[in-house]
Amino acid sequence: MKLLLAEDEKDLSRALAAVLNHSGYDVTAVYDGEAAVEAAKINAYDVMVFDIMMPKMTGLEAVRAIRQNSDMTPVLFLTAKSEVDDRIVGLDAGADDYLTKPFAMGELLARVRSLTRRSTVYGSKELRFGAVLLDVEHLEMKSANSIRLANKEAHMMEYLMLNPNKYIGTDELFNHIWSDEPETDKGIVFVYVSFLNNKLRSIDADIKISADDSGNYILNQF
Amino acid sequence: MPNDSIYGKYEAFLPLVLEELSNKIRQADAIYRIRSGDPLFEHINARIKSEESAREKCRRKGWPETPRSVLYEMKDAVGIRLVCSFLEDIFETVKAIRGFSGVEVIEEKDYIKKVKPNGYRSYHMILDIETPFEDVLGNVPGHYFAEIQLRTIAMDSWAALEHQLSYKKNISNPELIGAELKRCADELAACDVSMQTIRELIRNS
Repeated sequence: MKLLLAEDEKDLSRALAAVLNHSGYDVTAVYDGEAAVEAAKINAYDVMVFDIMMPKMTGLEAVRAIRQNSDMTPVLFLTAKSEVDDRIVGLDAGADDYLTKPFAMGELLARVRSLTRRSTVYGSKELRFGAVLLDVEHLEMKSANSIRLANKEAHMMEYLMLNPNKYIGTDELFNHIWSDEPETDKGIVFVYVSFLNNKLRSIDADIKISADDSGNYILNQF
Repeated sequence: MPNDSIYGKYEAFLPLVLEELSNKIRQADAIYRIRSGDPLFEHINARIKSEESAREKCRRKGWPETPRSVLYEMKDAVGIRLVCSFLEDIFETVKAIRGFSGVEVIEEKDYIKKVKPNGYRSYHMILDIETPFEDVLGNVPGHYFAEIQLRTIAMDSWAALEHQLSYKKNISNPELIGAELKRCADELAACDVSMQTIRELIRNS
């Protein structure tokens, strides 16, 4: 799982990254709010951990900007003081949970686990990108007309639509969509991308999935 | 001898026009088979619109029941339906038809891209065919119209079911059946696209 960590105190950042890495997260560490927004634009993360007080852009401003880009990745705030106002503003800005410093590492890991567990069913019944509407619950994709999707097609499309305009690797797609069938050949990712692209074409969609030479995929408008 | 057919004295020419067009299509299929190893379509249905349907259409459209109405205003007195195995075959066949000599495509309607609200999918072409026969305007050589409908096997069986629904009166819950039929059309379309995709994957591997 990919985790974006934005914490300007270098020592704390290093310690957090070490613990999170050890727990199996693929951590990207940035040190200010602006860098966090940029990283979120380029990569698909499963969860983000932001400090509030950061240079250039606060954690609050960063999460607002990220939400404005229709990015619904769960965000956990780290607040320096346990002021109620900070927590209210943080949650209203679009954060999903908070943790007051100082905190126990065990609690941080538990909260990150809780957020990523929730992200798989993150309130996205209907998603829109370009002129395409995806109804995950009813396995239906619509544009000029509509078509049915297989279960895994719908999940892949949901993941891509939650992370549009970002390159996502074959392994990443595979780990998200085939986590229940790890013995499956990873070539299945390309097959499903082909299914989805032809289905997008059949509904006369204005979006498509493109690939680069190294098996990274990106959903964008054309 | 007086002819009381709605097609008048042109009635005799219609089977010849139909035969000629069918032959052109069969020839295109033969050429395609040689080139690619696969057929263009799975089967072909050719028909002249019945007297009864032609008259019914005139009444529905408010046209007088004359040869001119059914041979000039109405464009589907001569009709051919081509049922294809795969989506791509439809468009290959359309390409072949566009290239026929002595045939001008005057209208194309892509209901596969612009699906009708009830879920109907098909590709329609209206053709203007030059023939050695006199036409209803008195021209020799004359021009006859024909309609070609192209669809996949799945679209064809769906259309057969929809046809039954549209002709059956007093269905107890037509909205529910209509909605389910629409859902079924989208599922069949999904199968058509998936089979087309697998065919491409096999071909490119």
